[in-house]
Amino acid sequence: MADETPQAPAPHPPPTATGLGAPHAGAPQRSGPGGAPVQGGRSAGSPPRRGKRSFVRKKKVCRFCVEKSDYIDYKKAEILAPFLQERGKILPRRMTGTCARHQRWLTVAIKRAQNIALLPFAAEL
Amino acid sequence: MEERQYDLIFICRPDTPEPDIDKIISTLGHAAAEKGGKIEKTEKWGRKRMAYRVQRLREGYYVFMVMRSSHGEVVKELERRLKVSDAVIKYLTIRVDEELKRQEKLKRHREKRAARRPRKPAAPAAGGSEHAAAQP
Repeated sequence: MADETPQAPAPHPPPTATGLGAPHAGAPQRSGPGGAPVQGGRSAGSPPRRGKRSFVRKKKVCRFCVEKSDYIDYKKAEILAPFLQERGKILPRRMTGTCARHQRWLTVAIKRAQNIALLPFAAEL
Repeated sequence: MEERQYDLIFICRPDTPEPDIDKIISTLGHAAAEKGGKIEKTEKWGRKRMAYRVQRLREGYYVFMVMRSSHGEVVKELERRLKVSDAVIKYLTIRVDEELKRQEKLKRHREKRAARRPRKPAAPAAGGSEHAAAQP
């Protein structure tokens, strides 16, 4: 690029006499030194990403995997409660990020807790 | 048949006097012993708010027990007694020995892996050096 930019003005000055060459000569000169960084910035920088995706979704991690738990206790209603909706439904995996194995255990634990009135089947009116 | 372990939870009316609850616990213990079971642990959780109304009550006195037995007759007998008892408004028996076994197994597995782990961080380091060698 550094070699090209000095070359570009050199052949152009002769056509400037015709009048048509003058704007042409001006245009490449601008895009030459200025255009290269701008283009590089566009391809690697933020503008295209801003167009496609407005936000980056945070990866959800299974809470029980983080704690490395081998057993989900149905007796601890307070740790099961966050996995219930307001109305008492069990939250799906896609909402909570729980892994398949732990969700399976969690469901069983929640259902047991419901049976012994530690957790609601449905919210009371 | 191998021995099984059960969790036994029952809820009494909140207005039941403490001695009555102790009586229920001791009769359950006797009944279990008679049938060849054994109550290993008894925990009185006390009065708790229930998640929904049971027999129009909002609160209940929770009692939690751990029971071991080698045949299901014990569970049948204990559940029959709980059902008959007027003070008890809800009960639940859960077999837990298989889950405890699974928990043990996973724990052992985890420990074994943890013991082996020191080798693990070396692998990515070796991969990184390979990359570094490939690039120039």
